[in-house]
Amino acid sequence: MAILATKDSKVVIQGITGREASMVTKHSLTYGTKILAGVTPGKEGQDVEGVPIYDTLKRACQKHDLNTSIVYVPPAFAHDAVMEAIGNGIKLILTITERIPRHDVAHFLAAAKRANCTIIGPNSVGILSPGEKVKLGPIGGDKVGRCFVPGEIGVISRSGGMTTECSWMVKRAGFGVSTSVSIGGDPMIGSPPKAILSMFEKDPQTRTVVMWGEPGTTHEEDAADFVKKGGFTKPLIVYMAGRFVEDMPEGTVFGHAASIIEGGTGKPSNKMAKLKDAGAHVAQKFNDILWILQKVVKK
Amino acid sequence: MSRVLENVSKEILKEEGIAVPDFFVVPDEGEARKVADELGYPVMIKALVPVGKRGKAGAIKSVENREEVEKVAKEVLSMTVRNFPVERVLVEKKLNIAQELYISITFDPSMQMPVIIASTAGGIEIEEIARTRPEKILKYHVDILQDLHPYMAKEIWSELGLEGRNLQQATDLLSKLYKVFRKYDATILEINPLAITSDGKLIAAAVLMGADDDALYRQPSLSRKVEVGSDRAWRPLTQLEKEMVAVDRAEPYRGTARYTEMEGGNIGFFCGGGGGSLLVYDTLLQMGGKPANYTEFGGNPTDTKVYGLAKGILSKPGVKGFLLDANITNNTQTDLVAKGIIKALQDLKIDVKKFPMVIRLAGVNEPEARRLFEEAGIEYHGDDITMEDAARLMIDKMKKLV
Repeated sequence: MAILATKDSKVVIQGITGREASMVTKHSLTYGTKILAGVTPGKEGQDVEGVPIYDTLKRACQKHDLNTSIVYVPPAFAHDAVMEAIGNGIKLILTITERIPRHDVAHFLAAAKRANCTIIGPNSVGILSPGEKVKLGPIGGDKVGRCFVPGEIGVISRSGGMTTECSWMVKRAGFGVSTSVSIGGDPMIGSPPKAILSMFEKDPQTRTVVMWGEPGTTHEEDAADFVKKGGFTKPLIVYMAGRFVEDMPEGTVFGHAASIIEGGTGKPSNKMAKLKDAGAHVAQKFNDILWILQKVVKK
Repeated sequence: MSRVLENVSKEILKEEGIAVPDFFVVPDEGEARKVADELGYPVMIKALVPVGKRGKAGAIKSVENREEVEKVAKEVLSMTVRNFPVERVLVEKKLNIAQELYISITFDPSMQMPVIIASTAGGIEIEEIARTRPEKILKYHVDILQDLHPYMAKEIWSELGLEGRNLQQATDLLSKLYKVFRKYDATILEINPLAITSDGKLIAAAVLMGADDDALYRQPSLSRKVEVGSDRAWRPLTQLEKEMVAVDRAEPYRGTARYTEMEGGNIGFFCGGGGGSLLVYDTLLQMGGKPANYTEFGGNPTDTKVYGLAKGILSKPGVKGFLLDANITNNTQTDLVAKGIIKALQDLKIDVKKFPMVIRLAGVNEPEARRLFEEAGIEYHGDDITMEDAARLMIDKMKKLV
């Protein structure tokens, strides 16, 4: 087993004909992902790497049994694409597109919540389960095995690039990953760490999770609360990046609203303290992940 | 987020039917006197700079009569507010305020919803009040799928104790303000104080607006009036930063490159990935290193973009070494990165045998990147070392320099 990206993933790519999307289609098919259809308006009847293209997602759903969509359309069209996926009953929507207007994101996240859909992203590089030979999105490129080998460690990262790097650290420590999830770098995302931890808790294959945290938002604080309340009971190893931002001159504050809403949250030092208090292993240095893994995971 | 100057946000509110004080924007004290005469005294003189909390910084002053106006205007125009030199001031009619309210709309990232924050205890101490008397502040999350109905706005103010005409006016204002928030893709919209004047009018005395950079393409009325990305800076962009923005914008669809100049420092910092660069910067500081700048790149930039960026990094006075430390790339072509950096070094006639350098660059087209660096006589690392290891190597090399 794994989470989100599994042998049962039957995938459609919205915006499949774009330069990046076609390349990702090729790499993903080679790796073993079942990409059954693509959607690009006006290009029905054509194909990308043998994957048939449809004008509408509705038509793609009529012809194929689909349960996962990867949204690869430009920012101005991303809101409509996500709404199209929700409207056609797709339950897992991975949004690769970055720089989507924030109002659009808030709107489709609310719509997804109402329709009981899981959204990963926006601004995610994807999800990869090496044991299942399934990758969704650009994650891993065309040389997946270089950084991702099968194993029992889950990876959660707010940074796309560091999703790969953390998975590689797991490999370097002598282990492998069950699933690596790039949750997206934006302040508002469909599935924050807490949601992914909940999935890893239920996944029998996953025995430990490595998480990459960053300044801002309450993602890490919420994850710490979730662990403390018993929502996640497996070992959790965290690296918090961006500690230097606390010593930067003030200037990111504009108006009072953010400080009233967020209070003292968002600071790496507070996040680290909360996670530690919840029983997580907080790596002081990035290399510490290596020995903590070796200590925590019993072979 | 881009900060919208107060004259622009007040014009927008006015257009949408929210009352604001009469105002003018002027560049010098002579003009200030002219417009103040026209408005009639007393007037307020406010520094027109994209920073919040100007009141606390002393950049908002009241002028009682004609004799004072030039002196005060000159004083404000000579100020630098949180590193932003004041180039223009906003002169507006001073209101006769009976009560100060507070109202703002922003996104609550943990709830992923718009949130309205309202209080009948507005003014510059609002954050203090939020801490010490939280019962004076009301937070209301809006269901973006159904928008804000007037009755919801009414409930908010009613709960805070507004009655009669004040309640009606405040309800109408909040309904309009939420429409402005949605229509202009605002990330924050704040009125503080929202004044109830002695003659019972409700006027947006001070307005603060942040716009979403990523939505500017559909906000033509804002796009030329805001400084994109002004939220990231705690001061105006330096000359070098402006040049680096130009390098990035020259090829908008190929890769991103951000450059922030740091005070002092001697390590030219060129790091891959938003997350990766946070890691490397932290690591250098922990080990006692002094980065001269903060730079992140990603998204497969061209060699031209890398060249421009590397040249900028290396040309800052005091830079005595160069660290390229990137996460293993998913799609960035490392050979293009190599080409750009080598060209910058050659252009600047830097002797790579004497100049401390560490390269940790793995991923797409790595064998070619390795060949290029080795051919140029530069020590190269792929995934034989971690990102932290590369930072340590750099620190060791810098130590040998002195």
